[in-house]
Amino acid sequence: MRLTTSSARRAAAAVATTAALLGLTACGTGEQPGSGSEGEAPELSEEAVTLRVTWWGGDSRHPLTQEAIEAFEEKHPNIKVEGAFADWGGYWDKLATQTAGGNAPDIMQMDELYLASYADRGALYDLEQTTQLDTSALDPNIVDLGRSDGTLYGMPISTTAFGILANTDLLDELGLTLPDTTTWTWDDLSAFAEEVSEASDGEVVGISPLNNGYSLQLWARQHGEALFSGGAVSISPETLAGYFQQALDWTESGAAASASRQAELAGVSIDQSDFSTRKQALLFSQITQIPAYEAATGGATLEPVKIPTEDANEADYSYLKPGMYWSVSSTSKHPAEAALLIDFLVNDPEAGQILGTDRGIPSNGTVREAIVDGLEPGQQRAAEFVAAEEEYIGAAPEITPNGASELDTLIARYLEDVLFESQTPDQAAEAFIDQLDATIKSAN
Amino acid sequence: MSLAELQKLSTRSGGARVKQETPDNKAALFFLGPWLVGAVALTIGPMAASLYLAFTDYNLLQDPRWIGLANFERMLEDDRLHKSIEVTFTYVAFGVPAQLAVALLLAIALDRGMRGLPFYRSAFYLPSLLGASVAIAVLWRLIFGSEGLFNSILGTLGIDSSTSWIANPDTALWTIVMLHVWTFGSPMVIFLAGLRQIPREYYEAASTDGASPLRQFRSITLPLLTPIIFFNLVLAIINSFQAFTQAFVVSGGTGGPSDSTLFYTLYLYQEGFGAFRMGYASALAWLLVVIVGAFTVINFWASRFWVHYDD
Repeated sequence: MRLTTSSARRAAAAVATTAALLGLTACGTGEQPGSGSEGEAPELSEEAVTLRVTWWGGDSRHPLTQEAIEAFEEKHPNIKVEGAFADWGGYWDKLATQTAGGNAPDIMQMDELYLASYADRGALYDLEQTTQLDTSALDPNIVDLGRSDGTLYGMPISTTAFGILANTDLLDELGLTLPDTTTWTWDDLSAFAEEVSEASDGEVVGISPLNNGYSLQLWARQHGEALFSGGAVSISPETLAGYFQQALDWTESGAAASASRQAELAGVSIDQSDFSTRKQALLFSQITQIPAYEAATGGATLEPVKIPTEDANEADYSYLKPGMYWSVSSTSKHPAEAALLIDFLVNDPEAGQILGTDRGIPSNGTVREAIVDGLEPGQQRAAEFVAAEEEYIGAAPEITPNGASELDTLIARYLEDVLFESQTPDQAAEAFIDQLDATIKSAN
Repeated sequence: MSLAELQKLSTRSGGARVKQETPDNKAALFFLGPWLVGAVALTIGPMAASLYLAFTDYNLLQDPRWIGLANFERMLEDDRLHKSIEVTFTYVAFGVPAQLAVALLLAIALDRGMRGLPFYRSAFYLPSLLGASVAIAVLWRLIFGSEGLFNSILGTLGIDSSTSWIANPDTALWTIVMLHVWTFGSPMVIFLAGLRQIPREYYEAASTDGASPLRQFRSITLPLLTPIIFFNLVLAIINSFQAFTQAFVVSGGTGGPSDSTLFYTLYLYQEGFGAFRMGYASALAWLLVVIVGAFTVINFWASRFWVHYDD
């Protein structure tokens, strides 16, 4: 019996110890909060170094990125790079878990929504501490959108602009032509979208509502406001209610699809959307998505046009947004090599040729010029649109603050409440601002 | 009799047995080992950690900070939590009884002994194997979508419908309840086994006495099946409270439209991984443990009044 009890006791002790250990590992994170420590720049190692890189994206991105990485490895034989990728949804779950486990990859592809959330929690490395990364070929406005509280945590990979894609093939079939889009107002757009639905007997709808952070930011700027200021929500309830009201009006007038159709299509892949299946003529989108949508519509001609304004001659509301960033983990043991790889991916003409516009129009001006002639027509139109957008560009906005990374999800949720009429636009606007403010506050 | 006394008895009855016991225990531990490691590393350890985290503010990226009961206080004012509890309770309250009823009816039908029984048994069991899978949830999207099979069937019946059943806040939850009912296979198989246990003589005696089939069902089948019904009920309730995959896939992870399919576990997942509030998510997990535990206790208590064991 004694043996039995002692082994039972031993087993119990083992259970307790393991549980305690697991508890400890689960909590032992973020040993190096922030990278603000003043010190000398990290130096490149002569010895063998292994870097881990992660990104999200579609199938076309992975082989291209892998190829660029191999080109880097050839130049730097002592550095080995291991790449890993996921789709957008899974990517953030995985990155959060890895970071929590103290196992973050050295280099990660980062999005504007999450940049401050990771940076302010000490998960990212101050890129300007290294000497390997050159930002001089980028527009300073764009570089600033990689900063949180003045520190550069994300190297912008690409820039993109927000606009409308018009399926001109479809419009031709319906016998419609776009109005003058250089001076059009929101009312003009609403009227035209209704025309589309009428001309097609409801088979084709005109448009789908604005439903993300980028568009809400532009909407706020058109009303002389900003979505965020001083790290807090600063859009007024009235302006936000107008944004929701617009969506409701379109849904009720038939300019957009029914609420349940919109809800059904929320979150489906590009090729299943109504715009891709030729059931919708106009689409709000990041303009650099043209090639993706051209492929999804089976080769339709898509013309990028600017978004309308309240009155015809509004300027300064627009801004170019970094499509995505490269960031370095604050726990990386090789920040210098990591910065070297980022520098290669963003600034090197060879890498630029390999990667093309897969991640958007390259943020590096020299690379952009070098590849622009070789672009396919859709990509070229996107590049031209981004260049033409200059005319409307004002000062860069504040990036999405720490804690507000759910912005897009929140917009989608409150929009559904409005469209299914469980809340009025005014109620939704108040509730949205309260909730977003609360999430930001609880994170800081 | 305590273990120690048993041990004494066995010692008295001969020394050889004591010697045998040592290797036996070792062997047992050896064979249990893989399971033990799994249980500790994958279940007990994380549970202990989450119990601690439930009392902290933990955003995954920084060290957890002890905040006492604040997470639990927050639950009182969290409207989305209340909504998710409402959704989950509705799902359990309608899905579980409906699924068990369908399972029982089909089990009785199959028990009649028909040709090709093994085929039907497998065919009906199939949904249970697939039901919680992503593929079926995707299929469900297609069936109940605006251009789905369900609307086509309504169309052939002369009912013109273009609504998307999965994207309408009034109907979305019910499509998931139906998905749950459709996975009646595993309780059905258990019911079938239970029906086979009931001695045929009872029915023979009853029909000699002139009892109608319905009467036989009420007075023989149902009472004798109550332990099986109870077993299925307990399992189904526990599983249904933890439903996640169907809601995640059907709503694309949002719990939409308009939070109408915001299952408890889905909300927990959104809070933990979407909003980086892992402390709060851990507290939510423990609330779910308490809720499921309470239901199980109530179930066992109530079973005294309606479950008959034949003795």
